[in-house]
Amino acid sequence: MSTCEAHLRGMMHPFPSRLIVSMPNRLLLVVCCGVAALLAVATPLRADEPVSFDLDVLPILTARGCNTGACHGKQRGQNGFQLSLLGFDSEFDYAALTKNARGRRVFPAAPERSLLLQKPTGEAPHGGGQRLTLGDDDYQVIHRWIEQGMPRRIPGEPTLERVVVEPADLLMAPEEEKPLRVMAYYSDGSSRDVTARTSFQSNESAIVAVDPSGMLKAGPIPGETAIMSRYMNVIAVTNVAIPLPGEVPAELYEQLPRHNFIDELVWKKLQSLGITPSEPVDDGKFLRRVSLDLIGRLPTPEETRAFLAEESSDKREKLIDALLERPEYADHWANQWADLLRPNPYRVGIKAVFNYDNWIREQFRQNRPYDQFVYDLLTAQGSTWRNGATTLFRDRREPEEITTLVSQLFLGVRLECAKCHHHPFEKWSQEDFYRFAAYFARVGRKGTGLSPPISGGEEMVLTAKKGSVAHPLTGETLSPRPLFGEAPVADESADPREALAGWIASDDNEFFARVQVNRIWATLMGRGIVDPVDDLRTTNPPTNEPLLAALAAEFRAQKYDLKKLLRTITTSHVYSLSSIPNERNVADTRNYSRHYRQRLRAEVLAGAIDDITGTNTTFEAMPAKSRANQIWTHRVDSLLLDTFGRPDPNRDPPCERTTESTVTQTLHLMNAPVIHGKITAEEGRIAQLAASDKSTDEIVEELYLAVYSRYPDEEERAIGRQVFEQEGVNRRRAAEDFLWAMVNTPEFIFKD
Amino acid sequence: MARQRNCEGVTRRECLQLGLGGLLGGGLVGALRATAHGAAASSITRQADSCILIWLDGGPSHYETFDPKPEAPVEIRGQFEPIATKLPGVYYSQCMQRLAAIADRTAIIRSIRHDQGNHGAGNHYMMTGAPPRIPVGCGAFVSFHPSLGSAVAHQMGAPYGMPAYFSMPEMSRSGGPNFLGQKYAPFVVSDDPNRDGFRVRDVAIPRGLEDGRFVGRKELRGLVDRMARINDQAAADPVNAVDEFYQQGYQLISSAEAQAAFDIGKEPDAVRQRYGRDSFGQRALLARRLVEAGVPFVTLYSGGWDHHTDIFNSFTKRVPAFEASIAALIEDLNERGRLDRTMVIMLGEFGRTPKVNKDAGRDHWSNAMSVLFAGGGTPGGQVIGATDRQGYSAVERVLSPENFVSTIYRKLGIDPDMILYTPEGRPTHLVSDPTPIHELMG
Repeated sequence: MSTCEAHLRGMMHPFPSRLIVSMPNRLLLVVCCGVAALLAVATPLRADEPVSFDLDVLPILTARGCNTGACHGKQRGQNGFQLSLLGFDSEFDYAALTKNARGRRVFPAAPERSLLLQKPTGEAPHGGGQRLTLGDDDYQVIHRWIEQGMPRRIPGEPTLERVVVEPADLLMAPEEEKPLRVMAYYSDGSSRDVTARTSFQSNESAIVAVDPSGMLKAGPIPGETAIMSRYMNVIAVTNVAIPLPGEVPAELYEQLPRHNFIDELVWKKLQSLGITPSEPVDDGKFLRRVSLDLIGRLPTPEETRAFLAEESSDKREKLIDALLERPEYADHWANQWADLLRPNPYRVGIKAVFNYDNWIREQFRQNRPYDQFVYDLLTAQGSTWRNGATTLFRDRREPEEITTLVSQLFLGVRLECAKCHHHPFEKWSQEDFYRFAAYFARVGRKGTGLSPPISGGEEMVLTAKKGSVAHPLTGETLSPRPLFGEAPVADESADPREALAGWIASDDNEFFARVQVNRIWATLMGRGIVDPVDDLRTTNPPTNEPLLAALAAEFRAQKYDLKKLLRTITTSHVYSLSSIPNERNVADTRNYSRHYRQRLRAEVLAGAIDDITGTNTTFEAMPAKSRANQIWTHRVDSLLLDTFGRPDPNRDPPCERTTESTVTQTLHLMNAPVIHGKITAEEGRIAQLAASDKSTDEIVEELYLAVYSRYPDEEERAIGRQVFEQEGVNRRRAAEDFLWAMVNTPEFIFKD
Repeated sequence: MARQRNCEGVTRRECLQLGLGGLLGGGLVGALRATAHGAAASSITRQADSCILIWLDGGPSHYETFDPKPEAPVEIRGQFEPIATKLPGVYYSQCMQRLAAIADRTAIIRSIRHDQGNHGAGNHYMMTGAPPRIPVGCGAFVSFHPSLGSAVAHQMGAPYGMPAYFSMPEMSRSGGPNFLGQKYAPFVVSDDPNRDGFRVRDVAIPRGLEDGRFVGRKELRGLVDRMARINDQAAADPVNAVDEFYQQGYQLISSAEAQAAFDIGKEPDAVRQRYGRDSFGQRALLARRLVEAGVPFVTLYSGGWDHHTDIFNSFTKRVPAFEASIAALIEDLNERGRLDRTMVIMLGEFGRTPKVNKDAGRDHWSNAMSVLFAGGGTPGGQVIGATDRQGYSAVERVLSPENFVSTIYRKLGIDPDMILYTPEGRPTHLVSDPTPIHELMG
């Protein structure tokens, strides 16, 4: 789990104050009505025109940075004066300005003596420095609003409905400049150009920078980035790409193979950027890649020989189908889900975690459709000693804790921020959070609760008769409501979780399929279409939206069958591309024009070392001959697994699995007594090969097939002879050295 | 062109001929990508050769360490009493006794503040001197900029066979190299030097291979390693990092100096006792040994300072031994004549809330924090800056994380204003505000 609950208690300061730009020479804006006014150049408010708090005053406070998380927008406000974060709650802000502090912030009899004007202009000491200039246009708007008696609303005033940035997608040439325009649309059909009161931010300013006026400036290097435009608390995103200069003939793309829709959509994106794909890999590489991906194992020398010798034109498809039926499939994929779900047994209890782990594995053994898997998990009832899925509710005991996990895992929506305040870069409010949490309000428990570090008792998870969730600020009891759409709870006797689980795992819920296909895609392809994989939000756009949408649609159409999804991806031509770049895709790291190399996952690497050395590893609390990806908890000791980055459950908050390489890993492969023991084991592959009547050439071939899944070439056979035929070196020792050397090369350590 | 695009030194490896004509091959982009190496030689005088950074993960309270507020109401000042220090008129909180006794050797900064109130962002800001570039969710492990240790490793290098940047027993969230590359990631020693028979795991060749067989294996590995490398940095090939690590690994294994530095058993018992016979104390001693072996940057990571609950009991139990180890480190370095060239710094990601909460804890508070600074030419016996009467906010001599990291860089002779280039060619200032804290510069 990537969320670290302990940090949620802290305040969020999402936008560093330096990013909040102050905008000089701002034009005042009128509430324009009617189509004719749509694109009108903003004109100053006339003195007698009524000033709207929501539409005129609040946007000034937001644009000037008053209500950011670093200033008055933070949890307890600043210096006793609190505004809602980025102005999402205008009722609150209106009360804060006009009623709290005995109304001394505004002084209609002499508006210029209001603290609201004296503080930001620096006439009265202000911790936040000068934010307004005495007499400038914004100053006058606020002044006039106070003078008019601080009306809460102007009669018939519309509300802000949406904000649109134009353009939303843009191709630019290096060094080119283009302006953004931000339009706000209101409930009465009117709109305003609010570019001047919008804050802009580039996700990668070296690719495309944006200045405070919304002017984009492309850098010198081709690439892609997203620009965030924030007006009030609404964010709109522009995707900008700078294609590679130079022409690529359209025929090149037309002639590329198209095994399925994935190829079509990837080629389309590549064409728009002028990127060309790498060549496909040969059969040996494909076999190794797809075996590691689908079952987490290297092919055996016999499997490799057979696959390379086979001549049918559909042998790759046949291989994929066969792999998906292998029992190791479930071990490999359940092990990946265990990272996301499985808690620390010291907290939750050994039996509960063991059952949970087994339940997860069973889902993959049966290839349970993903929607049913999730539904069963979220509605789990009964004993933690009988139904492993209930352990989720033993581990996560408060509705709030379950909410953050469920929304992130199954919707790709990170709701943590909304627990304490309006989500600063999304639309989720605290009310959204707690209404979502209300679905878990009636999770009841009987039996023995947690008592770390043993927590051995049995607990029953059931639907309680009572239980509710209240808004933390207003104290109001909140009825359950999903993040969007509808999910009514049938009646008072029903388990509210059923309504929620039905809503989450439904075809109508876009997020559900999207986050899962993105996660699977990232596992196979080395990078999510959205990255991080479970953070789907407007401000973190996918690199290929049509592809993500099509994969999600396909997953739905295939009734959430994971094996079919894996088949779709692995049979695409894109999946088979080489990692070796050409001159037009060397810098591509997000559009899948080539395969992105990945270091083997800890458990896969451990299993591969067992396989190629012909040895087993004994893990405590596991049956003999168990493989690393069958271990039911990360608490089972293994230096190798720790070194290669499996999550550490001892850390609080627990941390994510790491995928990087380190020098410690290198040293471990070179020197670890455990690995040395495996290479030199009496019953291992090396001892057997050395004792056999195989020739040097045959031994070397066997090692190449076992470690690299390919035959050695002539040069490599020559190296083998050289090593084996050195003076004073016996076969056993030569073979040990050879295997040690191969295990320590990237060709073994990486999926290529 | 300064970038490596040939296969020099990787003979026998399948060389890639990446016909990089056209755009990516040269001209402006190529020039942009040239690394900062060889740029104008720094005119900065180096004051220190090494830095030991003691990181209190979670954010230690300023009230209960170096900035007590005895005149504040009890819900703010907490349960502890202030104690006098070696400096007239300067008070620490009651647990900091040994450090109080050497207050004349150290400088305390009470006025660093920033606006990143969660661990992920706060750690990033203090560890790198750069605020997170985009909003960071709660609890994130993020890296947008090279950390202090990685940048020092990049600029100062290391003695032969040693990593330039150590982190013990783990690396802090944002303590990584970012675009500088994994070569400059910290070498993590997770093993506990307080245990009998401590050795840094896996740096010794397996028994039976010492007779030159290891050398033969190393050569053989060079022969069988034929996977194509993608040398263009923009391709972000993770295999290149592994090559760096094998290089480092070989050096480490074969370096007598490194092996000797790790051998903490060579220290007299009295010295080991002085540092405290616990994991942290012995790590502090190991840090001194590493610094003496020429390592420029060592992070001592200490977890568990996120005191949302029960802060007073927790401090009472833990801090006396902890601060005594730090005092021992500073004194020992001084007695051995190394304090002048070695910085010792202690901090966390932020301070803690003024009001003690209902759980007898304090929450995150980035408006004020206290940082200890000693050695490396730092004038001792001073307190820099101040918070207000109740400790809410830094009000005098308000300083930023940028000032803090710039101080460390300048002391080590590194220009904080230098420009580094990412693999994509993006120019980045090492620190956006290169102004050091002049009081510390001596």
